[in-house]
Amino acid sequence: MEQNQDLSRRNFLKLSAASGALAVGGTTVSASAFAKTVPSGKIKAALPKAKGPRLVIVGGGTSGLTIAKYAKKEYPKFDVVVVEKRDMYSSCFSSNLWYSGVINLEFLADHSFLDAARNNNYIYFNATVTGLDRAARKVVTSEGEIDYDFLVLAPGISYDYEKIGVKDVGVMTALRQTYPGGFISPTEHVTIHRKVQEFEGGVFVQTVPSGNYRCLPGPYERACMIASVIKKNKIKGKVLILDANPQITIKQTGFHAAFDELYKDIIEWMPSSAVTGVDVEKKTIHTEFDTIPFDEAAIYANVRGSTLIEHLGLMAPSTKSNQKEADIDTRFYNFVGDPHVYVTGDSRPHPYSKSANTSNTEGKYIAKVLAARAQGKEIAWVSPRTVCYSMVDADPLEGISVDAGYDYDPAKDIITGFSKDTKTFEARDEAKGKATLEWARGIYRDMFDA
Amino acid sequence: MDRRRFIGICAGSLAAFTLGTQRTWAEDFRDFPRALLIDANGVPIRASDLSTEEAYLFHYPHKGLPCFLINLGKSAAAGLTLSGDPLNENGSSYRWPGGVGKSSNLVAYVAICTHQLSAPSKEASYMRYAANGSELAGDTGKIVCCAHGSVFDPVNGAKPAFGPATYPLLPIRLEHYPEDDSLIATGMAGHQLIEQYFKSYKRDLIKEFGPGTYRENVGINTVTQLLSQYSESIPAC
Repeated sequence: MEQNQDLSRRNFLKLSAASGALAVGGTTVSASAFAKTVPSGKIKAALPKAKGPRLVIVGGGTSGLTIAKYAKKEYPKFDVVVVEKRDMYSSCFSSNLWYSGVINLEFLADHSFLDAARNNNYIYFNATVTGLDRAARKVVTSEGEIDYDFLVLAPGISYDYEKIGVKDVGVMTALRQTYPGGFISPTEHVTIHRKVQEFEGGVFVQTVPSGNYRCLPGPYERACMIASVIKKNKIKGKVLILDANPQITIKQTGFHAAFDELYKDIIEWMPSSAVTGVDVEKKTIHTEFDTIPFDEAAIYANVRGSTLIEHLGLMAPSTKSNQKEADIDTRFYNFVGDPHVYVTGDSRPHPYSKSANTSNTEGKYIAKVLAARAQGKEIAWVSPRTVCYSMVDADPLEGISVDAGYDYDPAKDIITGFSKDTKTFEARDEAKGKATLEWARGIYRDMFDA
Repeated sequence: MDRRRFIGICAGSLAAFTLGTQRTWAEDFRDFPRALLIDANGVPIRASDLSTEEAYLFHYPHKGLPCFLINLGKSAAAGLTLSGDPLNENGSSYRWPGGVGKSSNLVAYVAICTHQLSAPSKEASYMRYAANGSELAGDTGKIVCCAHGSVFDPVNGAKPAFGPATYPLLPIRLEHYPEDDSLIATGMAGHQLIEQYFKSYKRDLIKEFGPGTYRENVGINTVTQLLSQYSESIPAC
């Protein structure tokens, strides 16, 4: 025992010595991991000196990558740095299609942060944001601090398990690991993929939360994809959709038709069935009226703004967002009172659909806002656009879609709802099924290619 | 090939061609080696035989660059000044010359959606000319991209009519020879997008055309066929 301790102490000393040497060589990062005497906040990130106004973008999802590319195009003087905690990209959008074998994992993940940055003249910096000093305009990361002229935070969403009655951190953790929602990280997608591929029968529960959750059609589309596997493999099983909402939240007609016509004995949809608790051990889900046993599940908790927004002190009061989203200007996205800090993508408090196409179109507009403000100008507000396909059948491919815009009320300074030119295309067909794939390819091209 | 057409084709072929040179939209059209539009049997296309029901696909000026030839069945607008990619710092406006043919009814555009570069391949085309209307376009006679719902108006230089695209499909310049009703492609505008396209689709283009081949000039002839004969699948959004 003592020997081991001694060994580890010696190893520690060796490591410390090495890290000291590295620090001398200019790599301050290794030093910070070992030498606690150096306050992490004082270490500069290993980045070249900014050649123009530095725009730091936190988050390499659809919002962050779109803004990085187009801000640089709109205003080439910007020195753009994307801070992303993942070292490997994989999209959340289109991930449902993997579960049924319509696409493979490469479709989602064969896109490199490095290539995106190189093709579009910005820097990809692999680090996690841990702090923010707005007065000094510094963002603190696990790899040192970065000075900014403009900061965009696009950290996406976090789950809010308390809203589905899970207040115990132990249960929350068990749920997150065992029955992930599959609407945030690639590792959740891998787990759900395995669950679907290994499903041998019984009840597969897919829950739908209340509120403005990410990807409104997502849980229904996923139910269709799981059901298509059950149908194809002739499994004695069903997909039970426990929906917190009284109605299917979007593309109602198209999804009802798919449930009734394609998966009559496979999908059961239960409206107004908000989850109020989960017993992970007993494998039961509680709603207000029922206790439902299940064999497998994807439990989609309510959605809130990323916890990073709360940690950095940028959260809106509950009067403005009941989902812990950011306190930002309705039209220009800057944190209220600070024209140097912006929050975009799914941590915004707007009633916009939290989806890739929304963030992609919003990102192009925000790039223009930033370019204008860097030059002391302002531009007129433009609505994001939500073009969104959902696959309802895997073989043959059949899809439905929606094309939505939004209206702004200047008197109340709020987004009032969908614009008049919003259309839904709910008669499922092969054309829209195939277009579902091309829709995603287009967004990948837009984010990763020049 | 008769002598006159041969000369027609050769006339522009001396124009230097270097892919990658940054040309500006302001220069309007750029000359490329001229190519006669022929059918799959090598017979020159006759303009008056062209269907008005769907677009024809040909490659020009490069072997890997898909273009649409459309018989509008009516006259195209008589030339317009259009705005190109607003983010192309080399300039953005160009002169689209209008249609060619007996009643200025023939137009040609690069078949790459200017929004997110969706383009026809042998496997599938999400871009098509919806002569008789479509769910997405509503209206008849529009070019529709299924991917995100961009709609272009071929009568007016393929200007965006609806959807997320912010600038027109790139124009291909055609010449019509009334004596034998043949068509020759002679140039295009907005070459910068082509570089983006080649870069973005490099893997697919190598697979379909061979390494480097997609960048080569088509030569003096280019095969022109109905899109439905070229692409196996054309989702009709």
